[in-house]
Amino acid sequence: SRRKRARARHKPCALKELEVSVSELGLGYESDETVLFRYCSGTCEAAVRSYDLSLKSMRSRRRIKKEKVRARPCCRPLAYDDDVSFLDAYNRYYTINELSAKECGCV
Amino acid sequence: DEILRSLAGPPSPPGQDPHGWRVPVDCVRANELCAAEPSCSSRYRTLRQCLAGRDRNTMLANKECQAALEVLQESPLYDCRCKRGMKKELQCLQIYWSIHLGLTEGEEFYEASPYEPVTSRLSDIFRLASIFSGMDPAANSKSNHCLDAAKACNLNDNCKRLRSGYISTCSKEISATEHCSRRKCHKALRQFFDRVPSEYTYRLLFCSCKDQACAERRRQTIVPSCSYEDKEKPNCLDLRNTCRTDHLCRSRLADFHTNCQASLQSLTSCPGDNYQACLGSYAGLIGFDMTPNYVDASTTSITISPWCSCKGSGNMEEECEKFLRDFTENPCLRNAIQAFGNGTDVNLSPKNPSPPVTLPPKTEKSPALPDDINDSNTMYDTSVITTCTSVQEHGPKLNKSKEQSLCYSETQLTTDIMPDQKTFVDQKAGGSRHWAGRILPVVPTLLLKLVL
Repeated sequence: SRRKRARARHKPCALKELEVSVSELGLGYESDETVLFRYCSGTCEAAVRSYDLSLKSMRSRRRIKKEKVRARPCCRPLAYDDDVSFLDAYNRYYTINELSAKECGCV
Repeated sequence: DEILRSLAGPPSPPGQDPHGWRVPVDCVRANELCAAEPSCSSRYRTLRQCLAGRDRNTMLANKECQAALEVLQESPLYDCRCKRGMKKELQCLQIYWSIHLGLTEGEEFYEASPYEPVTSRLSDIFRLASIFSGMDPAANSKSNHCLDAAKACNLNDNCKRLRSGYISTCSKEISATEHCSRRKCHKALRQFFDRVPSEYTYRLLFCSCKDQACAERRRQTIVPSCSYEDKEKPNCLDLRNTCRTDHLCRSRLADFHTNCQASLQSLTSCPGDNYQACLGSYAGLIGFDMTPNYVDASTTSITISPWCSCKGSGNMEEECEKFLRDFTENPCLRNAIQAFGNGTDVNLSPKNPSPPVTLPPKTEKSPALPDDINDSNTMYDTSVITTCTSVQEHGPKLNKSKEQSLCYSETQLTTDIMPDQKTFVDQKAGGSRHWAGRILPVVPTLLLKLVL
């Protein structure tokens, strides 16, 4: 079962979804309405490019010192879902855009 | 006769199915048939010229116009109907009214619906609604069905997209003076009700409420501040006249009058006891000048009205009140909304039994059902409880034996079904995403649970 868990943690980058209440989003809205929150999750090992390897090498050789660089691809939304509208606890409608991921990729 | 035969398409041997061509076609098709036949098309052209910019009496004073109308009454154009949400719906309705405005006085109180009658009872929607209301673990205490309906819509991509579409359009401020674009808001609402399956839209529109927060949410469904309310309340007859100048609005209103007109002959007060048809034509009015809505957030009484009043009716006061009462005090509409909210359709006509429902093979554990409950929606869930209460509410109209048998089944089913229901609730708590996210798989799961 340990191996199973390990494999689960190293799943490749993909879209996952969660049912959450609007209040749980932490955006300051008060509403019990439930929305579908899609997010990107997983690793990007397969997407490592020469760029990443070289950047790592430059860093270890101290050719790059003080700058903040990222030498690993990162699982992020490539596109966002359509707007989401909801009614809040005070009977006002709100629309949030780019709340939820539509497509994920290693960038 | 020559015209008739030629319109029938390929000539059929005399005597064979002489009325076969009377099978109703849609008006776009009927127009094509007419256009292919020179004498029909010329009469139709004449009639349109007669009607253009003239009232009916002036038109009929002209002999040529009168003759054209008489001939066209025998053509497929006369019998043609349109379908809600069909391709070229507006064109179809234009053709329909081009003939029918010439035939009627044009000032009738009720007009016949240009839409095909809704023949299927589509009890599926009611059954789904009953499952939702019946299976909610907190159904009897503090659940908010309107909130559940919003959740179901948000979890369906199509419903979510079109709901967000009309909400953002209807709540978008244009300028300091213009609160929103009513025209665009209405258009977005029409798209929502046309393109989203009614199992989602009806749940949002007709959810049943036990508290005010729920009822206010229900009232807010169509974003009334933009789509419904206005600075002034026009007179209802003026509003009706405005509606009748628009072919779509006129047709939807005629359809509402056809399907929701309170009838004394039926137990439900609805024509043909068809709740579906009434709810459908009600929803069909949303996004037009005659957009109806709940007038307040009352939980006990449901009052519906378009945005109009009978002030300033002059000597037409009576007619105005009669028109308004078809919304505000309409027992058919009210019963249909309540029945949907409670998840109870009716099956009161033994002459037309509902089509058999595919059921899994019965086992000893499945609850025994009294024979007279043959409507599928009362079969395998706890909504039987609401069936009983709602039948009691409509009590005076139903005969005693029916009432007793339904209430008897309540006690029987409640005791029989309890252990199974508990299992289902437990399972639901564990993986709620699975049944709430997708609606249709619920039914098989539920059936399986009861069989096991």
